[in-house]
Amino acid sequence: MPKITIDGTEIEASEGRTILQALDDAGLLMNGVDIPHYCWHPKLAVDGSCRLCQVEVEGIPKLQIACDTPVQDGMVVHTANDRVKAAREGVMELLLINHPLDCPICDQAGECKLQDYAYDYGVKASRSKEPRRALKKNVDLGPTIVFDQERCILCRRCVRFCREIPKTGELAVFNRGDYSVIETFPGTPLDNDYSMNVADICPVGALTTKDFRFKIRVWFLEEVAGICTGCSNGCNIHLGVANNKVYRYVPRRNDAVNDTWICDAGRMSYREIGAPDRLRECMVRDESGRLAPTGLDRAIEVAAGRLRRLIASKGAGVIAGLASAHATNEDLFTFRRFLSALGSETSGVAVVRGKADDLLIKEEKAPNGAGAREIGFGDARTVVDRISSGGIDALITLGHDALHESLLGSEKPLADLDTVIVLDTHASELQRVAHVIVPVRHAAEKLGTFVNVARRVQRVVPAVESAWETYADGEVLAKLGAALGLEGFDGSYDARQVARDLAAANPAFVGIDLDSVGDTGRLLAGSAASGAER
Amino acid sequence: MLETPYVTNYLTEHFGEEDYPTIEGYERVGGYRAARKALTEMSPDEVIELVKIAGLQGRGGAGFSTGMKWSFMPKDTDRPKYLVCNADESEPGSFKDRILLERGSHQMLEGILIAAWATGASTTFIYIRGEYAYPADQMERAIGEAYAKGYLGENVMGTGFRHDVRVTRGAGAYICGEETGLLESLEGKKGQPRKKPPFPAQYGAFGMPTTVNNVETFSHVPHIVEKGANWFRSFGTEKSPGTTVFGVSGHVVRPGLYELPLGTMLSEIVFEHAGGVPGGRKVKGVIPGGMSMSILPAGQLDVPMANEFLHERKTMLGTGGIIVMDETTCMVRVASVISYFFRDESCGQCTQCREGTGWINKIVDRIERGAGEEEDLEVLLDVAGKMEGQTICAFADAAAWPIQGLLRHFSDDFAEHVRQRKCPFAESFEL
Repeated sequence: MPKITIDGTEIEASEGRTILQALDDAGLLMNGVDIPHYCWHPKLAVDGSCRLCQVEVEGIPKLQIACDTPVQDGMVVHTANDRVKAAREGVMELLLINHPLDCPICDQAGECKLQDYAYDYGVKASRSKEPRRALKKNVDLGPTIVFDQERCILCRRCVRFCREIPKTGELAVFNRGDYSVIETFPGTPLDNDYSMNVADICPVGALTTKDFRFKIRVWFLEEVAGICTGCSNGCNIHLGVANNKVYRYVPRRNDAVNDTWICDAGRMSYREIGAPDRLRECMVRDESGRLAPTGLDRAIEVAAGRLRRLIASKGAGVIAGLASAHATNEDLFTFRRFLSALGSETSGVAVVRGKADDLLIKEEKAPNGAGAREIGFGDARTVVDRISSGGIDALITLGHDALHESLLGSEKPLADLDTVIVLDTHASELQRVAHVIVPVRHAAEKLGTFVNVARRVQRVVPAVESAWETYADGEVLAKLGAALGLEGFDGSYDARQVARDLAAANPAFVGIDLDSVGDTGRLLAGSAASGAER
Repeated sequence: MLETPYVTNYLTEHFGEEDYPTIEGYERVGGYRAARKALTEMSPDEVIELVKIAGLQGRGGAGFSTGMKWSFMPKDTDRPKYLVCNADESEPGSFKDRILLERGSHQMLEGILIAAWATGASTTFIYIRGEYAYPADQMERAIGEAYAKGYLGENVMGTGFRHDVRVTRGAGAYICGEETGLLESLEGKKGQPRKKPPFPAQYGAFGMPTTVNNVETFSHVPHIVEKGANWFRSFGTEKSPGTTVFGVSGHVVRPGLYELPLGTMLSEIVFEHAGGVPGGRKVKGVIPGGMSMSILPAGQLDVPMANEFLHERKTMLGTGGIIVMDETTCMVRVASVISYFFRDESCGQCTQCREGTGWINKIVDRIERGAGEEEDLEVLLDVAGKMEGQTICAFADAAAWPIQGLLRHFSDDFAEHVRQRKCPFAESFEL
């Protein structure tokens, strides 16, 4: 392993890496060793065109670009001497002669690398007296992205992204010299499943998403580490939060899960959190057959009463449980314990399936199918079959994924059940047949873990407080268990404690708790890749 | 009348003969003897060694040792190796390759064949600038004749050596004359120079080991093989042997081509061969090697035209395109023309080049219009300095050097524009 010395500090690098890559591998880039860069991106091919990352390498007369200079054992690199600083200032000055000074109305302000580096490495005033380039503003590149050609600094990250990641190649540089502009080809809009990533990697305010632009100034946003719940890949994200509202999801780098990307569908799934169809209050079906709002205590009381009556007449065998792959491991482990203590013999997890690709998008359209199965929930098919064969009188369901055409198809098969208890985030057809409905929290509103498709346990934390009277699924089940007098249920629910209980009860979860998973997750015990964990 | 150089030597001596561009005409004066000799009597290494000893330097501008360049081609590889003939002659002031393609088609093809033998290349791509319609047609004709004679193809001259030659047309971008920009264009991509390393000898055309040589460079090779290194070294200087075809343009009595030994005095070329400035006017400055080289003022023309001497005066031989400007010339206007060219032709990849060429052009134009300030001159030098040596290819240097040269030698012209707030040459300036 080559050792290189950067500003007097020795670091070990892997063979064949460039200086910037080696610093990135060591977690030092812009985090101890500042080498500003625009065109270089850790997950895209080296371009070497912005020339900002120039450093001095002892023994080489010319300054070298750190992004494309391979490390060699004994290499001595200076990243901040006067020569390097002068070169950097030169590049910054040149980039700024044509960049509009519209920061006050630019969406990128506050997270703009041109702004940041101009403060850090630029000169105070421009010497340019020439008119700036006049180019197209507000270019509609496709369904998701708007482009401001004047702000573009031609780092071409977006061009390389489209060619290398979704491999759709919609963007290209047209013309030459300072007439160069990025455009789409005629009749080929920027339209792919990952298109909005170009706005993330754009270092300036040239590419913005139609969804987020002009919504809020980014410095008002608190970036909370979380997990996208759109599919079982569990892409790591930052939830942009202000005013107790989630304004956006942006990808959070995790090289083991999603690199630095997220699909557009996942990104837009933040809208579920504050959606108009969120369930807002507990409801119980009254004697007239109508659902009437009520409090949690009354809902638990009604649910417990119905279940108790059924157990007394027919035994717990007629009660089935449908788990949701949107619920956390802690919710699901509580559900599992609840069903066992109750004596229910029928359970499964309902997962909606859909389109997948070989990049990030996975078939299961929920974050925790793997966790549910690990905790002992089999295929929901068995539940559906027992319902249609008439062996079930009561159903406790988390979520409404079982309504999907591949399982129940609709709420109708449940219409004749004696008791349907629904714990759900959003409204669904289940309302037609439910006897008790309890609104539960979205992943953005609670603490817990999911297991992704690659058996990685990842954590969500409350990014916002639920706007309504909602509860964690586990909390509701704990109260219901206590109301039924089930063994091991005292009505309290603490996700941290449940996680520890799960680790103690299930060998796959050994050593995993809500702290140890950290922000980037940990593999379940016995997973093939666990040895390679950092 | 046939277009021939005013002064000829071994490269161009037969250019006036009607049938010389045909294979019969070329063979009648001894053509293809050198190729036959190389392929049948010499090993590839011997050819490379000979060219090294002869000291042939690339005639495309950089002046790198041709033998060295050939020796960089990997020997033990099962990948196909390619040669590329850079016929994208686009340097303003340079027009020698055109005649070498039109009249010396077979001379160049023979050079290519010898180079292919030396480097083990299976195919040569002749990349001809888009505007060179006739040279491209003529090369196609010559290639056809060579195939028909069995000098190209599966079994060259019955030796079992295989070589194919194809003509590829450029589409009118100066940057495609830069060797890796050319390779991108050859592959059908946008002409943008590649990062180096890897160098073309490792990763060239279509990812294969490739050597790129200029038209004139190939044209010298048959003569070296036929007559030897010592003969070649009898022309030119110790460090820069051989002749070259100088193209003289601008304010001279006889603009045109002159094949002269390297090391010929610039003053001799301008005043004796080209007849000096017409109308009894004085020379103001001379660009010695195509527009991307620094200008020399009238007082510095007593310099031998070879890199080892031109370097001392902070300029280079380049392509040997000599541009003469007389005393009526406004050097700010010259800077404007030059900077416009480089602004227009920058590929736009690297920040310094893309932004720097545009900025310099805007400043120079403003000075020419009479709206310049004194501090602009400082900014010009500073920006040119920041473009030098910091980019993927040498284009930014080529854009910076002429501006630096003009400011170095003709700062008075710039200062007068600023002082008078107008172009003092405005009336006399007429090309």
